[in-house]
Amino acid sequence: MAKILIVDDDEDFVSAVNLLLKSNGFDVAIANSRQEGMEIFDKDNPDLVLLDVMMDEPDDGFVMAQSLKKKAKNIPILMLTNVGQVTGMDFDKDSEMVPVDDFEQKPIMPNILLEKINQLLGK
Amino acid sequence: MQIIDRQKVNEQIRDLKKKYGDDRSALMPILQDLQEIYEYLPDVVMQETAHSLGIHPVEVEGVASFYSFLRTKEKQGKYVIRLCRTISCDLAGKSNVARQLENEMGIKFGETTKDGKFTLEYTNCLGMCDRGPALMINDRLFAKVDPEKASQIIADCRRDFLKSDFPKVVPSDVKKAGPILDHDLKPAEAIKKALSMSRSEIINTIRESGLKGRGGAGFPTAVKWQLAGAAKGKNKYVVCNADEGEPGTFKDRMLLYEHTDFLLDGMTIGAYAIGASKGFIYLRGEYLYMKKYLEEALENRRSEHLLGKNILGKDGFNFDIRIRMGAGAYVCGEETALIESLEGYRGEPRNRPPFPVDTGFQGNPTIVNNVETFIDSALIIVKGSEWFNIHGTEKSKGMKIFSISGDCERPGIYEFPFGIKVSELLKEVGGEDTKAVQIGGASGHCISQKDFNRTIAFEDIGSGGSIIVFGPDTDMLQVARNFLEFFVEESCGQCTPCRDGNPKLLGGIEMLENGRCSFTYLNELKKLCETIQNASKCGLGQSSPNAFLSIVDNFKPEILGRVPEAD
Ligand SMILES: Cc1cc2nc3c(=O)[nH]c(=O)nc-3n(C[C@H](O)[C@H](O)[C@H](O)COP(=O)(O)O)c2cc1C
Ligand code: SF4
Ligand code: FES
Repeated sequence: MAKILIVDDDEDFVSAVNLLLKSNGFDVAIANSRQEGMEIFDKDNPDLVLLDVMMDEPDDGFVMAQSLKKKAKNIPILMLTNVGQVTGMDFDKDSEMVPVDDFEQKPIMPNILLEKINQLLGK
Repeated sequence: MQIIDRQKVNEQIRDLKKKYGDDRSALMPILQDLQEIYEYLPDVVMQETAHSLGIHPVEVEGVASFYSFLRTKEKQGKYVIRLCRTISCDLAGKSNVARQLENEMGIKFGETTKDGKFTLEYTNCLGMCDRGPALMINDRLFAKVDPEKASQIIADCRRDFLKSDFPKVVPSDVKKAGPILDHDLKPAEAIKKALSMSRSEIINTIRESGLKGRGGAGFPTAVKWQLAGAAKGKNKYVVCNADEGEPGTFKDRMLLYEHTDFLLDGMTIGAYAIGASKGFIYLRGEYLYMKKYLEEALENRRSEHLLGKNILGKDGFNFDIRIRMGAGAYVCGEETALIESLEGYRGEPRNRPPFPVDTGFQGNPTIVNNVETFIDSALIIVKGSEWFNIHGTEKSKGMKIFSISGDCERPGIYEFPFGIKVSELLKEVGGEDTKAVQIGGASGHCISQKDFNRTIAFEDIGSGGSIIVFGPDTDMLQVARNFLEFFVEESCGQCTPCRDGNPKLLGGIEMLENGRCSFTYLNELKKLCETIQNASKCGLGQSSPNAFLSIVDNFKPEILGRVPEAD
C-alpha cells in the first residue's frame, strides 16, 4: 500500500484529502508544518508527498521541497496550493527553486487529485 | 520669456532616449536631465517628451507635478536653497536660519528672487540630522548652519563663489563600528563564494542567519528572495532602496559611500540567487552628489568583470546595475511606490497583493531591499550564518546600524546588536538627561523615561535605524507638530484617511497648543488615528498616527496642561 504524506496547515483540507486517500486504499501520514513534515518524512519514509506552499512562512513549501529532494532525489512531490488565488503569484516548476514533480492549484477535484497521484506513483 | 526651440528639444530628447531607453521608464531621468538644461520644465518640453514617449502630455505633467524636485511652473533660481525643516534640524534652530535667509534675499519660502538668482524652499530630512540645521544648495550640502553662516553662504552665492562644506561626499561620523562596519572582507570575495554555491544554498544560508530587512518593516530576506526565485518570469530585477527618507536616518548615506563594494556584492548575489539580470539603485534626489561616485564604482566593476556578461567567468550569469534618481518624495521609499517611480509614474503605492516578488518592475518578479540588507547578505555569505546570528535576539538577529541625532553629546552612526535597551543606547551616545526618544523616525514611536528599559528589536520597538533623542527642554507638541506636518506634506493623497486625516490631526495639535482642545475632541482624534491606521493603503498612512498617539499618551500632563478646562 502506497504511503502518502500530506503537509498542509489547512486542517479542513487535510481531513478531506485524508478521507479521500484512505477510502482509495492509501496509507496516509499528516503534518501541519515544514518541521513536522520533515520529521515524519524521516520516520515514515512515504512514497509521495502532497505539499502546500504557504504555512508558517510564505515560502515553507519551496524550502521543504528543496530539502526533500536533497534527501531523496526520486521522491515524487505534488505541490498543491492556493497561493495563486491569495497573492496572485505564479510559479515556475524549476529544478532548483521549485523542485516538484507537479503543481496544482487548490481547490482540486478529487478525481484529478487521484489521477495525479497515481500518475506520479506509477513513474 | 525664454523662447524654446522645439526642434532642439526634440534632439535633446532623442539623445536622452539613447541613454535611458525609449519606454516609459525613461521618463523620470529624461525630465530630470531636461530640467538641468531649462532650469524648469516648460510646457513645450513636457509636450515634446510626451510625444516622443507616446504618452499623453497630461501624463507627463501629472508625473512632473508629483515630485517636489521637478518644477513645472516657473524657472527656478540659479541657486535653489533647500532648508531642512524636519525634526532634528527644527530642534537645532532651523527657524532662525529660515528668518535670516528670508531677510537676506527679501523673499519668502516657495519664491524666487526677481533677478533669478535664488529660489528658497523647505525640504524634508536631508540625511544630515546629526549636524543640523542642514541645507542644500543645488547639489551641495551645508551643515550646522546658523544665521551668521547662512548670511555668509548667500554672500558667496552672490559672488558666484560657493564652496560646499563637503568638497566631495559628506564624510561619515561612525562612532561605533562592529562586525558589519569593521571587517577584513575584500571586495568581490562574497561574489566568488556565492558563485561556488547553488542558488538554494545561498538563500538557505541567509535563512539560517535570520536576517530580516533593515529598511524598517523587518520582512525575512530569505523568504523574499526564495519567492522571487520561484516566481515565473524571464526578466527578474534586483532593486536597492536607497531612498533613505525616514526623518533621522542617515546610515545609508554612509553605507553607500564607504561600503559601496559590499552593497554591490550583495545586489549581485541577490541577482544570482533569484535569477535576475538587471538591477537598479533608487537613490534619493537629495543624494545627487553621490551619483557620479556610484557611477564610477559601477564602471570599475564592469571593467573587473564583476558586472556585465558572464560575471567572473560564470557562464550565463549576466547582471548589470543602473542608477535612478528619486526627486524629493518620501513615499517613494515604500517599495511599490518606488517601483511606480522607476516605471515613470507618480510615486503612488500599489495595492498588495500582488507583491513585488511576483509582480514588480514592469510586472516582473523583483526584490526590493534596503542598502544595509544587501551589505549584511554579502557578509553572511562569506562569514556564515552563525557569525551573524550570534548577535541580537531570538526574533531580531544580528547587528544593526543606527543613525542617532538630537539632544545627545555624541550623535552619529552606531552599530549595536538588536535587543539593546534604550537606556544602554542613551548611555553610549551621551544622552543621560533625555526626556523622550523617537524610535523609527517619524513613522515610529516616541517613548518616555518609563519605557527606557525596553529594547530595540522587531518584537519590542522596531526601527529601521532612526533614533532621535529629545532633551529635557523639548516641547513635545512641537515634535508632534513637526511629524504631522511631514506626513501632511508627504502623503501621496490616494486614500482619504491619510490625505484628510493627517491635516485633522495637525489641526488638533494646533488646538492643543492654544489650549482649545477638549478631552472629547482629543478622544475623537484618537479614534481618527485608528481609522487612519486601519484604512490607509500603505505604510505611510498606517504609521502616520504613531507619533501623535505615543506623544499624547506618554506626555499627557505636558500636553493637557495647555487645555484650559476639562469638559
Ligand atoms: C512611506 C515609506 C517609506 C519607506 N522608505 C524606505 C526607505 O527610504 N528605505 C528603505 O529601505 N525602506 C523604506 N521603506 C520600506 C520599504 O517599503 C521596503 O519594506 C524595504 O525597502 C524592503 O527592504 P528590506 O526588506 O531590506 O528592509 C519605506 C516604507 C514606507 C511605507
Ligand atoms: S496611505 Fe497615504 S501615502 Fe499611502 S497610498 Fe494612501 S494616501 Fe498615499
Ligand atoms: S537633515 Fe534635517 S532632520 Fe535630517
